[in-house]
Amino acid sequence: MGQESLDDWTEEGSFPSRCLSVTVRGPWGHFRRVEGNVVKQTYRVMPRTTVAGLLAAVLGIERDGYYELFGPEQSAIAIEPTEELRAVNMPMNSLSTADGNLRSLNGRGKVSMQLPDPTALRQQHNYEVLVEPAYRIDVALRDAERYAELRELLDAGKSHYVPSLGLSEHLAELEYHGEFEVESQPASGKVNVDSAVPNAVDSLVVKPKVKSGIEESPAFMTTDEGGRTTTAFTTYAYNADGGALPVDNIETSRVGDRTVVFV
Amino acid sequence: MLSPEAFADAYDDETLHEELPDSPVGSLRDLQYLYGKLYTLATTGGGEYAPYLTPDAAEDLIDTDRSLVVVRVDLSGEEPRLADDDRGPVWITRYTDDLVTKVAHCYFANKGAGIDHSITHKSGQRKSPEKLGKYATDRLTRWPTEDAVAELAGEHDDGWIINKLAAAGESEELVQNVKQEVKRQLDGEKTTAVLTVQIRREEDGEYLWPGELDVIMEGMRRQRLSKLVTKNKADDSSGEATDIVTGAKTRTVGTADDPQNYFLGKQREKFPGLDIEQAWRSHPISEDAAVTVMNADAFTDACSFYALGARVFYLPYPFGTITPEGARDLYRLLYAILDHDGLNPVEKAYDKTREGERVFGDGSELRFYVSAVLAHQTSRYDVVGETLNGKLFYPRHLAQTHNQVVKTEPFLDSEWTAPFPTNENWALLSGSDEQLGSVTGGWYFTQTFADHDDDEAEEDDPRIDALVAVLSGESIAVEQLLDEYTDRITTETNDEDREFPSFLVASQFAQLCALANDELNLLSTTDDAKESITREPAYEKPPMETVEDILPDGGNPGEAKLESFIEQTPAIAPTEDGDDTTDQRRGAFLLGALVGAVGNYQGYDLGRSTTLIDQFPVKSITQTRIKKVTQEAIGKTVTYTREEGRTVTKFSHIVERLRETVLNPEPDEWVLDTDDLRFYYALGVTYGMNDRATSNNEDT
Repeated sequence: MGQESLDDWTEEGSFPSRCLSVTVRGPWGHFRRVEGNVVKQTYRVMPRTTVAGLLAAVLGIERDGYYELFGPEQSAIAIEPTEELRAVNMPMNSLSTADGNLRSLNGRGKVSMQLPDPTALRQQHNYEVLVEPAYRIDVALRDAERYAELRELLDAGKSHYVPSLGLSEHLAELEYHGEFEVESQPASGKVNVDSAVPNAVDSLVVKPKVKSGIEESPAFMTTDEGGRTTTAFTTYAYNADGGALPVDNIETSRVGDRTVVFV
Repeated sequence: MLSPEAFADAYDDETLHEELPDSPVGSLRDLQYLYGKLYTLATTGGGEYAPYLTPDAAEDLIDTDRSLVVVRVDLSGEEPRLADDDRGPVWITRYTDDLVTKVAHCYFANKGAGIDHSITHKSGQRKSPEKLGKYATDRLTRWPTEDAVAELAGEHDDGWIINKLAAAGESEELVQNVKQEVKRQLDGEKTTAVLTVQIRREEDGEYLWPGELDVIMEGMRRQRLSKLVTKNKADDSSGEATDIVTGAKTRTVGTADDPQNYFLGKQREKFPGLDIEQAWRSHPISEDAAVTVMNADAFTDACSFYALGARVFYLPYPFGTITPEGARDLYRLLYAILDHDGLNPVEKAYDKTREGERVFGDGSELRFYVSAVLAHQTSRYDVVGETLNGKLFYPRHLAQTHNQVVKTEPFLDSEWTAPFPTNENWALLSGSDEQLGSVTGGWYFTQTFADHDDDEAEEDDPRIDALVAVLSGESIAVEQLLDEYTDRITTETNDEDREFPSFLVASQFAQLCALANDELNLLSTTDDAKESITREPAYEKPPMETVEDILPDGGNPGEAKLESFIEQTPAIAPTEDGDDTTDQRRGAFLLGALVGAVGNYQGYDLGRSTTLIDQFPVKSITQTRIKKVTQEAIGKTVTYTREEGRTVTKFSHIVERLRETVLNPEPDEWVLDTDDLRFYYALGVTYGMNDRATSNNEDT
């Protein structure tokens, strides 16, 4: 993991040629599925947009400020669930956070904040929460400066904002594995992929003992004057037990001794 | 609605390829879209406006008398006027199948009060001629002046048609004529009817139906779409974004209905500042996809039923991108489920596969989206168990395995009774053809788990967890099972007059064995001490060796049976690697067996009303009491041995083994938790109570 000159590789044709590898884990995680708001179900695989948000938190980039950095062609991310993906139901009491139901504290002051009316009646809802989720993330950025910054921060175990797994109360722990060369492997026959496999459901080799699941989650975002929108979704195939997934005839990448697929 | 055969005839591969999504089902929305597509194709056909039509809304009127009222207007001249041909200005006739797409009705239910978005309107039940006359003229006075329709008049090439219809509605004379004509033709008879128009555009032209006029259809579409962005008092929740279903960049809408009500306008949330006007940002769905998704509800409703106090959805689909053949097969299955014969989708699919058919002829794997939904109120939902990856294999194989387990040695009588009772009236103890329905409907766990209120489902109902786990092949925690089992056993014995629930315990044990099946692998634990419970027992299936075969010298058949049961049950078998948790569990089991055997002897042979079984109920068993209970039970055997003047200790085959296990290690050092001890104690009691000769001439 020497500190080589960035120019050595960023100018080369293939992307990514190197990546940073980090495991994020925590006791709990909740990645709200977009098709529900009444119901609070979670994705099993950490969505790519959430990974980008977490890494942006490490880099100290504000909300809505990192979509280009982690955009298509600008970044490559592989996500590997490393533990069995397990969820429990967790009923929680919540208050309305609609504008009309928020109270301002110190509304005219320099620093003001809004909070829900604490005297209002709570409504209980069930949150589906992941238990001890852990994901190994491989990430490459075209922006060499940001990439180097991320490498330093991960290496030093530092982060600007507190990293979390979905909701802010689900704190995440980051374990940096170092920088790895990425060796792309052309499609040829069957291969066991360690990471979740994006957009290749039809290439999955269905085996009775392998608990393969699929889910579609937001992958890329953009902003406009009114807020943010998702620009692309990705359908991930994953192994619910946390092991490798057998796939037929797709392009993969070697990162160290692992086989992953970037998107 | 087309029959599966008619569906197959109507759509060739090419058409289906064009209509169907070209990406695999990866979310609930994808699945609803697929269902909505199939429904649309089967009812209103393909094409731009098909998803907007609701042919079922007026299905009850088909082929009934005076069920269609047509106002016929001629717009070919300077001024709009009523038709003066042979058929006349108002035509009252029968609504028939071939008119459905022409009349092009679009109706949507909205909190009890439905609304028609099409120029075509369906009247309420049995209306008077006066009322119907009024409804008929509303086609001209109201529909063309709706905001969304009037706006279209300025944009569409045929926008003048809308303007002229509106002008017709403004003519007092024309309107009165329509009313009178309706009244005259109905001649005082009340009726229920679909009211629509026919329009002539040019001189010598034909009178055209709404379905034949693009501008009228587009007006209907605009009307419908305007509601997708204004629900729940939103002004205009729409914007340019990526459609969650098709991935296309397009106009998306934020307040479209979701057939399963997972997404609604106003919500209590952990996230701040939810703004209904911005709902399309977090849930971007295109207009056409939104309308198609809403058309899924006929199928999603059919694929749901109530179980365990929750509404359970089983939505079958093929894994991977759907092929035309797969679509026809899925339609065939959904059509069969609509049949309402009481079978749920899993059973239906099983029926097919049992006949040797594959559900998907193209080889696609059948999967189910499964969810259990608690509806507190119409807008307050909780999903308590959900998976997109349910497989037919698991419930089917579990049902079969359970039926096989109760046909193995521990459940079968020979010269010596079976260790566990069997009863033809207990499906869990005799095997049943309905076991699959029991598994998928939750009854399978209701019979063995702690009592829960079925009317008021709860978020943490472990039966729902177990149900969803079985359907998706996820595992159930052994700890949870034992907790539920012992909870149920103690509830059933709380009432002092009740007998020991040996059928219940035997049922629970059979279930535990079935779940431990190697192929299913549905049990898991994080506790090393419980790992042995997750392993499949190796009980012999008949024809088995009889006890006499094993013991030609006429030894104690009870002894041989106990020996082989222990050997074949991983949770209580001695291990070579020195894992003493199975020894401890075996200790609890043997103690129960002794209590059961002595208690049985006391009750039957000595006629006592209170026996050891009552004296040491399951809930009294704890680690610290094991030793004391053991001493008492063994003490009893000594007493009875002496009283009968026997040379061999009564129940010696149990006593000897019990002495060995309870002494090494001492119960004080045992590490098993209470649920674990209690369940295996209860299992032992059940065993002991049944540990006797089938005929009375043998006794030990």
